[in-house]
Amino acid sequence: MAGQGDPVQREIHQDWANREYIEVITSSIKKIADFLNSFDMSCRSRLATLNEKLTALERRIEYIEARVTKGETLT
Amino acid sequence: MPLVTRNIEPRYLCHQPLPNSIQSELECVTNITLANVIRQLGSLSKYAEDIFGELFREAGSFAIRVNSLGERIDRLQVKVTQLDPKVEDVSLQAINLRKAFKSSTKQDQQLFCRSSVPVPIDDTYNTCDKPPPLHILTPYRDDGKDSLKFYTDPSYFFDLWKEKMLQDTKEIMKEKRKHRKEKREVSNRGNLNPRKIRTRKEEWERLKMGKEFVEAKSTPEETLPNSNEICHNGSIGSDGNEDLVYRTHGNYHDSIIPPPASPGTDLPPPPPDFGYPMDVQKDSSSHKRISFGSPTIPPPAPPPGPPAGVGPAPPLAPPPPPPFMGPEGHMPPAVPPPPPPSMPPVQFNQNFHGVDAPSMPPPPPPTDQFPAAPVPFISSSSGGAGGPPPPPPPPPPPGPPPPGPPPPPDPSTLSFSNGPPPPPSEPKSKASLPPVSDARTDLLSAIRQGFQLRKVEEQREQEEKRDRVGNDVATILSRRIAVEYSDSEESEFDDEEWSD
Repeated sequence: MAGQGDPVQREIHQDWANREYIEVITSSIKKIADFLNSFDMSCRSRLATLNEKLTALERRIEYIEARVTKGETLT
Repeated sequence: MPLVTRNIEPRYLCHQPLPNSIQSELECVTNITLANVIRQLGSLSKYAEDIFGELFREAGSFAIRVNSLGERIDRLQVKVTQLDPKVEDVSLQAINLRKAFKSSTKQDQQLFCRSSVPVPIDDTYNTCDKPPPLHILTPYRDDGKDSLKFYTDPSYFFDLWKEKMLQDTKEIMKEKRKHRKEKREVSNRGNLNPRKIRTRKEEWERLKMGKEFVEAKSTPEETLPNSNEICHNGSIGSDGNEDLVYRTHGNYHDSIIPPPASPGTDLPPPPPDFGYPMDVQKDSSSHKRISFGSPTIPPPAPPPGPPAGVGPAPPLAPPPPPPFMGPEGHMPPAVPPPPPPSMPPVQFNQNFHGVDAPSMPPPPPPTDQFPAAPVPFISSSSGGAGGPPPPPPPPPPPGPPPPGPPPPPDPSTLSFSNGPPPPPSEPKSKASLPPVSDARTDLLSAIRQGFQLRKVEEQREQEEKRDRVGNDVATILSRRIAVEYSDSEESEFDDEEWSD
């Protein structure tokens, strides 16, 4: 094993180092993907809330416009 | 089964076959893995761009809405500040004159249709196999249907539901019309209700032994109100008029609606003598109904008319032409006068009530029916089993013609003017006077080609109807609900409602 020790060992060592490096990269890729998904979800929920508020506001404004116009046309 | 929206491309970094001629395999694997990592980063960035793009679009639309809202608020603010110092008129008239406030509730539609699918899922979908290219065969089909629809039709269920809803709305409208007419008749006649019940039992009694053996009723009640009533042996009933009246209002009547009653059913559960339609939906009853006060007696529309009309139409061309010309004074029993002539006058009467715009288109379409009308009549007479039931062409299609493209047989419009046009229709008939003679001469040939014309008309009507009617669930449903729950007092209101 002494003969195989150094070159093979070195290779295996190197391989492990490479794999750890690749592992770091892939786990950060997964974190990015997770972040993107949760960002998407939270953004959509906030936009939906905004949408509801906007719709409610629009209806109220319609009502107020109807109250105020007295038959004239709103310019 | 949930589909993954965004899949990052090289799923397995190291699962790649190694080339054979490599010394240091470990390094090779490492390099391959690193290359796949780079590819993954690429697809990740593509998906991130997609996500942010969608969010940006939505936020942009909200920004537009917010801006417009802000403008409206500013205007309102100005207006309110102007209001305060002025004296406000609180007179009752002012309150009544104000337009009633209707809040518009938008209903979200087409949420999950093909066009609203997110881009990555659409990409996934596009990687699948396409259906076989059956659309190439479409031009070779006779009936004009899309060949692919026989293999896979995504709109099948929606079409089915839409047809059913439209049918239901029509039936509901018919019922309401008949109820309205019943009420009118009742108010005109006084104590007729008890009699109505009695006759029904009589009729059922008569029908008990078999429809074919029922003889003509000869009770005074029946002869009283309607000289139009014909013996129940299946000759032309005079109820067609009512049908026509109803159908002229509803613009959606299909030409194929005529009930599936056999040609030999001369005695559908006949409506009470007063012409109250017993069963709106059904079919045979719609045939023989007594019509009151209608100037013409259009023969009822037997179901087999339209379908059978296409086939045996050509050999029976000759008979119709003479009755065609003088529809007015004809009594149904002898020869079934073509219903269309009666229809236009009726239609005109109805159409000129309140609706001006659509009244123009209706006159041309009913006249279209002229050539078509005799055909179904002919066909059914050939196939008529029991008695001589005149197969009146389905009045509905001609009756409520949608204000679509002016039909090609414009001269036929003028041919219609032969009949006693009601006063409102006079201006139209005058305009159409010159080509009248042409329409007359072409009448026979038009009749011979009747079945072809009818097919085109049906198609055109259906297309027009579809173009007019909004193809949404919400529109169709709202129309149906409105019809169901509305107190349809005035026919004019219904006309406006239906004429979109």
